Amino acid sequence: MISCTEFIIAYSELFAFIEERHGTETLDRFWEELADEFLFNLRDLVAAKGLLGMHEYWTHTLTEEGADQTMTVTDDEFRLEIHQCPSVAILRRNPHITPYRDYCRHCTVLYKRVIEPFGFKCEMSIHDPARGRCTLRVATRSSDVAQGRVPLD
Amino acid sequence: MSFGLGFLERNFGPDEMEEYLRRLARNAYAPLIESLRIRGLPALRDHWNNIMSLEDADFSLRFTDDVLVLEVRRCPAIHHMKERGYRIAERFCESTRIVNDEICRLAGYSCSTEYDQANGRCIQRFRREAGA
Repeated sequence: MISCTEFIIAYSELFAFIEERHGTETLDRFWEELADEFLFNLRDLVAAKGLLGMHEYWTHTLTEEGADQTMTVTDDEFRLEIHQCPSVAILRRNPHITPYRDYCRHCTVLYKRVIEPFGFKCEMSIHDPARGRCTLRVATRSSDVAQGRVPLD
Repeated sequence: MSFGLGFLERNFGPDEMEEYLRRLARNAYAPLIESLRIRGLPALRDHWNNIMSLEDADFSLRFTDDVLVLEVRRCPAIHHMKERGYRIAERFCESTRIVNDEICRLAGYSCSTEYDQANGRCIQRFRREAGA
């Protein structure tokens, strides 16, 4: 049995395997199907509570994972800054493996897939993939961020 | 993880799923393979004891002659997925057999895995290859 403590490594290996043998489009399709099948908690919260639902979802999951993060929510924007991603930290703690080169991108694909159908603009900036630093910003379509009047970073 | 295995098998067939699992075993479990080569079956006993305890499995580990026997009476992975209503890959338990096989093969050991996926139970046996 592959333990749940080894899932991050197994996923990193799986992403690399799919990309190498079947291409980036297939990997993106895998992530989209994964989002459709498993991210129903996030989908339900966004459907019911919008930006506040995102805040609720990540408060729960990131507390569980012990992530170093900062979260803010306003009337037209949700912002999540990850200072040290717990998944990336696991990959770094296992020097015998080579992490998938684009590991962080799965979050971009997964969260856009769930959030944008509800009328939000979802953007992710990966600042430092080796250290697991990124920012997720979700804005209402009418906001300045979504309209391109305010830069994402 | 089950979803990933199902994705490979559905789209590219069982051989592709197996290829991924063998590569995973070689890369992710490289330290365990090395430890098994050096320390022998006690290395595997310690590994399983650690994993199964962390996962709160109902299990036992014993040596019978020169064979290490792991009996899992309640698999935490299967029960976790069942409790949450997740789709379980048709050949999910094959992942245990294949990963074990690759780890043992590279370290000069052999193994067998008998499983009952529907009920989340299995018996795994590990022994040193004759002549290894």
